[in-house]
Amino acid sequence: MIWAGGVLVSQGEGGVYGERMLGEARVWDPYRSKLSALYYLKKGVELSPDMRVLYLGAAHGTTVSHVADYVEVVYAVEFAPRPMQDLLEVIQRRGNVVPIMADAAQPEQYAPIVESVDLIYQDVAQPDQVTIALQNSLFLKRDGAFILMLKTRSVDTRRTPDSVFSEAAARLDSGGLAVTESTWLAPYYQDHAAIVCKKA
Amino acid sequence: MMQSYWFGDVDGGRCHPYSGDAAGLADRFLSLQISIDRFVPFDGTIALDCGFCHTRADYLSKLREMCVIIAKRRIREQYRQKDTELLQMVRTLDELDTVINLLSERVTEWHHIRQPSFSRKYRRTPVRNLVMTITQRSRGAFGRVGGDIERLSETRAMLAREVSERADEVMPNCSALIGGLVASRLLLQAGGLQALARLPGSAIQVLGARTALFSHLRASTPAPKHGIIFQHRRVHNAPRPVRGRVARVLAAKLAIAARLDLYRGVLVPEFIDPAQARIDAVGKGP
Repeated sequence: MIWAGGVLVSQGEGGVYGERMLGEARVWDPYRSKLSALYYLKKGVELSPDMRVLYLGAAHGTTVSHVADYVEVVYAVEFAPRPMQDLLEVIQRRGNVVPIMADAAQPEQYAPIVESVDLIYQDVAQPDQVTIALQNSLFLKRDGAFILMLKTRSVDTRRTPDSVFSEAAARLDSGGLAVTESTWLAPYYQDHAAIVCKKA
Repeated sequence: MMQSYWFGDVDGGRCHPYSGDAAGLADRFLSLQISIDRFVPFDGTIALDCGFCHTRADYLSKLREMCVIIAKRRIREQYRQKDTELLQMVRTLDELDTVINLLSERVTEWHHIRQPSFSRKYRRTPVRNLVMTITQRSRGAFGRVGGDIERLSETRAMLAREVSERADEVMPNCSALIGGLVASRLLLQAGGLQALARLPGSAIQVLGARTALFSHLRASTPAPKHGIIFQHRRVHNAPRPVRGRVARVLAAKLAIAARLDLYRGVLVPEFIDPAQARIDAVGKGP
């Protein structure tokens, strides 16, 4: 990851969403992107130029644009039409993003498009986030990394975030995604956990 | 076993690339039937090996071109569903109401300061007329705001007509039962025609009475008898003792009407006429 005096940046064409620039580099704000927050907490997976990434829950393409600055190709899956409109605009100037309008819970909708990847990043506001993660792990190469942003409040508002978190970690482990690192995203986000796994 | 990918079919060691343009690729991809249990993950390099493309950059640009076409098609499909725009129209209508009320209140308060002898007590003027009289012949921003409120009210009336017309088109049966405006408000609360058609009558009856419903479920407060459908004249004009019953019958008929609207999309007189008669009969009391 590229740090410029304690600030996480990515190298690419700026002006995607009004992000701050440090010279030629785009500032990657931890308060606007959970992945950035994870790097600020000194955890996560180093992004490299030869990586292929499957990104589930691409939304308006804010974080996607930063990931695309680091890696070879990003397969960006998003379901809703309104964010997809923005995502299509973002990718016009980023040749290495493949926009996929499909439901991450139905990988058969996009399986013939997505080649095996080195990293899957998932940030979806669904109750069955862990099921979606396990379904999609088939696209992951052996020893590939999975970063799951667990929105505990989307899973179940009545249970404590801690219990949602530990259940999710246990299910990932038994589903073939061995948890290597995990952290809460405080102080950047409330009740959001990041779980980093490795495919066995 | 043969596997189909976006660029062609791979059968054992043999690969048959698809030859055609991006639109053709998109059509082919959308027709693929994939079973995820038997899906074999692939690496993009096989497309190079089988001659579908020459370079990795070529592979990605072809893939991107196809995906953009598919995404644009799907967005258009989603937006073409007729209820999507109606939802925005109703939201705008509600927001116009809020803005008009806020501005009218503010201008009246402002006028109190400009005219120390002014009071609204014992006046029966509706706020709208009041705003017009106090801002008429006023100079500067004060007069302008009055004119703006006036124009916003005209816009609101125009939009209300359009909402009503659009509702007749999108949900003819529901509109026939409770009128276009109330029908669109139900649509907004449910979140779309499909969502509305999936609700049971009992839910439609209390749609828009969320606070009352949950306070009923949590504590032992009385159950709400009606939500948005109270705005319909046959509910709010019904004598109190039968009002709940009218609401229940109307909601039950609306549940059917919503399904007719979703799956047929045209007015069904065989359903509407007896339904109207039934609702009217209940409203007359026992």
